[in-house]
Amino acid sequence: MNRYLSQYRENEEPILGWGFIVLFLLVWEFIPHVVTLPKGLALFFTTPYHIGAKLVEMSTSSEVAFHFYVSATEFVIGLGLSIAVALPVGLVMGRFNTLNAMFDPFVTAFNATPRLVFLPLVVLWFGFGIWSTVVIVFIGALFPLLINTYEGVKNIDRVLVNVVRSFGANEWQLMKIVVLPNSLPYIIAGLRLAIGRAILGVVVGEFFGSDQGIGYLMAAAAGNYIVDVVFAGLILFMAISLVMTMAVKKLEDRLSRWRPEQVKTF
Amino acid sequence: MGFKGLSESSVRFLLGAGAVAGFFLVWEFLLTYVFVFNPFFITKPSLMWGATGDLILSGELWKDIYVSGTPFVFGFAAAVVIGIPVGVVMGWRRRVAFTLDPFLTALYASPLVALAPLLIVMFGVGVKGKTILIFLLAVFPFIFNAFAGVRSVDNLLINVVRSLGGKERDLYFKVILPSTLPYLVAGARIAIGRGIVGIIVGEFYAASEGIGHALIWFGDMYQLAHMFVCILVLMIIAVIFTQGLRKAELAIAPWRTQETR
Repeated sequence: MNRYLSQYRENEEPILGWGFIVLFLLVWEFIPHVVTLPKGLALFFTTPYHIGAKLVEMSTSSEVAFHFYVSATEFVIGLGLSIAVALPVGLVMGRFNTLNAMFDPFVTAFNATPRLVFLPLVVLWFGFGIWSTVVIVFIGALFPLLINTYEGVKNIDRVLVNVVRSFGANEWQLMKIVVLPNSLPYIIAGLRLAIGRAILGVVVGEFFGSDQGIGYLMAAAAGNYIVDVVFAGLILFMAISLVMTMAVKKLEDRLSRWRPEQVKTF
Repeated sequence: MGFKGLSESSVRFLLGAGAVAGFFLVWEFLLTYVFVFNPFFITKPSLMWGATGDLILSGELWKDIYVSGTPFVFGFAAAVVIGIPVGVVMGWRRRVAFTLDPFLTALYASPLVALAPLLIVMFGVGVKGKTILIFLLAVFPFIFNAFAGVRSVDNLLINVVRSLGGKERDLYFKVILPSTLPYLVAGARIAIGRGIVGIIVGEFYAASEGIGHALIWFGDMYQLAHMFVCILVLMIIAVIFTQGLRKAELAIAPWRTQETR
């Protein structure tokens, strides 16, 4: 008995965490067996078992694989573009005060505004399809990356800069030796935020501005009240988002052990 | 920077304001003299000015903001009232945190906007459906920031209160709440953005009024000047709230200046 108790003590965290999730799923599963749902609600009700079965069914369907491929492409292109733009612009903004002061109102405004606001315009400009979603992903991922790169460059130790300068380094060498390594933890932290926003961008963009992709599948299913597909998609995006942000978080923790703990964001 | 007699912050402000003004001027100039102006593709600042007057004088803008603002206030208030206590208890009671953290993290990570169509069919296109959607999106930043805030509380302060005979209540109100406050303001900043997403998604789907509906309706009607004004209004609202909360955050906790936005 005591042995079990001490085993429980050692693994209390995962036991309680997983236990609650399992309990939640069980309660959900058994609700329709215990109470009779009102007619309106019964139409939109599904249980974890059905969702799981749907996920398995979807994972073998070639049509779903195609939609997944579309979503993944949008994610990669959008995020890639935002990295390609944010890093150089962030570095330059961090190095030149005047440029930074000029760009700041735009960066603040676009960062504060949910990118969904631009969606009708983006659809008008780029058409209904994958490019609209790419642009939404790009706008969403750009600003966290840009701002973090810029903060990283700005928070550089002046002493290090002066030392390297005194030894005759030019601007390019300064970038390579001091600026980039020093801002790397910030950039990675920005990347974590950007990934979360990019995944949301894929969902939202496809929801309203596309006829392909997993987000579109969910939107179409929701329109026809096929609830288990909506939840299956939700779980898929959740899993991808968790895996990717945790992977980047690991990298981030390795690179910046000295920084204080940050609050979760997606 | 070589502007004599001006402080650095006012130079920054002038440069920023100049860049914004320059942006609109260049936009107007390019479409008037350089490129062929296609009113079904883009609009001009001068036309937007007219549209702004139009929307304000007809009272449409205020009505839309009021219609969208009501569920926002309800949903946001519910998120505060429920999110903060949950987060505080999670931060304070280790076992509660173990139990709820993975579950809530999973929910936070999932794109709950996708539930919008279901919520709207279940609860209607009115205030109720949108309120629930906004609550769902805005509650998690409050939970996780309250959680992190409570965990950041200095143990020494807790011991002091305990040694001097403070009760559980004193701990909550005299130590935990004050040190958690800056985290909560930061959480509110994130929650505002997510709440705006909630409004817009809800209104894109099914609504006959509200700022999100106006946005998409003007887009469908190719009234681009009106549509741009709606976008600008939403941007201004978002900036006012987030910058205001940022200022509040700095005022409450000036030591926490370095943080990702």
